[in-house]
Amino acid sequence: MNKNYWFQNVRVFADNKLGAPQDFFVQDGVWVASVPNDAEKIDVHGSWLLPGLFALGVDFQEPIRDDIYRLKDGFEAMRRGGFCTALCESEANPLDDLHKLKASLDAYGASGLDFHFLGAISVGHEGKSLAEMLELASHGVVGFGDGNHLPSGLRFLRFALEYAGMTGLRCYFQPMERSLAGKGHVHEGHYADTLGMKGIPAQAETIAVHQILELSGWLQVPVHLKQITCAESLNLIRNARSRGVDVTCDVSIYHLMLDESCLFALDTHTHLRPPLRTAEDKEALWKGLEDGTVQAISCAHVPVLPQDKEVNFDDAVPGAVSLEIAFVALLAASQLRFADGLERLLGWLTDGPAKICNRPMATLRMGASSPFFLFDPSVKRVLRVSDFAGQVHNSPLLDTVQTGMVTGTFFAGQWRWNR
Amino acid sequence: MSFLETKHLLGLRGVSKNDLRTILDTARQFREILDRPVKKVPSLRGVTVVNLFFENSTRTRISFELAEKRLSADSVNFSSSASSLTKGESLLDTLKNIEAMKIDLVVVRHKGTGVPAFLAAHSDAIIINAGDGANEHPTQGLLDIFTMEKRLGSMEGKIVTIVGDVRHSRVARSNIWGLTTLGAKVRLCGPATLIPRNLSFFQEVGVEVIADVAKAVEGADAVIALRLQKERQEDSLLPTLREYRNFFGITAEVLDRAKSEVLIMHPGPINRGVEIDSIVADGPNSVILDQVTNGVAVRMAAMYLLSGGRADE
Repeated sequence: MNKNYWFQNVRVFADNKLGAPQDFFVQDGVWVASVPNDAEKIDVHGSWLLPGLFALGVDFQEPIRDDIYRLKDGFEAMRRGGFCTALCESEANPLDDLHKLKASLDAYGASGLDFHFLGAISVGHEGKSLAEMLELASHGVVGFGDGNHLPSGLRFLRFALEYAGMTGLRCYFQPMERSLAGKGHVHEGHYADTLGMKGIPAQAETIAVHQILELSGWLQVPVHLKQITCAESLNLIRNARSRGVDVTCDVSIYHLMLDESCLFALDTHTHLRPPLRTAEDKEALWKGLEDGTVQAISCAHVPVLPQDKEVNFDDAVPGAVSLEIAFVALLAASQLRFADGLERLLGWLTDGPAKICNRPMATLRMGASSPFFLFDPSVKRVLRVSDFAGQVHNSPLLDTVQTGMVTGTFFAGQWRWNR
Repeated sequence: MSFLETKHLLGLRGVSKNDLRTILDTARQFREILDRPVKKVPSLRGVTVVNLFFENSTRTRISFELAEKRLSADSVNFSSSASSLTKGESLLDTLKNIEAMKIDLVVVRHKGTGVPAFLAAHSDAIIINAGDGANEHPTQGLLDIFTMEKRLGSMEGKIVTIVGDVRHSRVARSNIWGLTTLGAKVRLCGPATLIPRNLSFFQEVGVEVIADVAKAVEGADAVIALRLQKERQEDSLLPTLREYRNFFGITAEVLDRAKSEVLIMHPGPINRGVEIDSIVADGPNSVILDQVTNGVAVRMAAMYLLSGGRADE
């Protein structure tokens, strides 16, 4: 049963700007103009009330060790970070048939959060046999992808796009030419060569981007390129879009925050796939966001067991969690770069992902029901293991100082405080 | 000397409306002969035919052989794996040997597009294409049209929907060219991976592609379900036969969306429960077995006319 709330001294983000402190009333999940009966009064002392965020690139790695990280830990991570909507795909459990899709819809639906799913392009993400994409589309997937696997054969990729094209849905690819990436772990650049580490050249990405865009343009199938990491990829995307190719793309939080220079620390939490690129590439990604080449920031939330990170760098399982701290960390970076850093960031974490997935965007409007979260900008803290849900904490930002904190989230008619 | 404008029957593309009419009208007369107690006529007595099948065939080969026997032609069969005859030189050598044996008419099937045309260009014999690659299968197209006309009358303005693996289908192509020459409208339907991408030559003759099978059969006078080769799945062109059937199969539910008198056709052999359900294939709208019978008559007509005879002589 929905409860009614009266938030006092809250700065509401509506009409794309943050307002002055005001009262904010919620009745049966809807923003209303006057105090509802039996409203619970909450003074938030100038906190910001922001629209619920949309997480791209979420993989809870189900079935991960269920004694260490469970699905409900993933839901908790979203709540702690202000995320109310997510686009999910699973490496461990590819949604390549209807039974798996229905099981996921049931399991995730119980959270009350809003989850969307990518159906698999190929059975088992193996790039050999097409998945039943028409069937999956008719049961609600919002697009198709093979996780981090890009089909190695262009002929297969062509038929996969052609087949998926019948659904009108977007195909999501992680552009990485595996035959060129080889056994590399990090960006092939000065840092990797200095350390004698096996590298993945930027060309492993740009070659794949070029191939995908050529096929997308020819077959007229919309595509999304996940976690673009380098400047040249963005140039290819700009050029393709100018030719009419329907392509969207995202960049991940950590590729905006970090670059290859952190390799010298040999922190396995910075072992990511795709790898962190050069400082110039990082700047180009911000530029891409600024000029609209990039539509969204993805979370690329990949929980990795502690024991899989407590090894030497090369042997560490790549990936990082981010849902809990993405907004906080990115806000500081965005506000450093842009006078309207909050507005831009919310766009990249709400409208952008929603448009890519062709879903309605979360906006706060009087008379409407929409998820939101509270953000206290005055909190300064060091990120600790306890800030992460479950027993995984594989974030490169662990032990760093962060300003601001998501203090509570409202979704499915319920208000939840963090901690 | 051919009694048609064309000397050979290499395909239906470019064949005049007059020639199509002559073959179909002559086939009607031969079809009547097939219902008589004595089904044999002496029309091709003294004519020697070789059935040159470089690709496996059962029903087409039998149909041609039967047609030749009904016309009293002398026929011999030659079959060979295509692998030993993939080079032009080998094919030419084969042809020269055949010519040396004074063969009048060659019925040829080969996996390569254009092989019948190649033989026609290098031989004095009359060539009938019994299927070349995914290019054409003109006698199948003609027998399909013959079957439709028998039930529907003139094809002018009629709508024919072809469902399935059009990209790899010589049957579909021959039907497209023949039907559109006779004024019919052709719709294509199938998974995007099984429909040709470059359709300008088909669009020039009014062919349209409709992705949704229920919409594609709406208002159609005839529906041709194409055989789905199971290799298409191995080639990654399809996920599963189950999904194919669910989205492109001619089922009773799909049939409900069509005209009540729509003709259901299939070139055979049928994959029941894949491209067509048994209830439809064996139902009252099905003319699939008529197609088989009519095939003999159409092939008789084609061979007879190309050899210079007339049915009424």
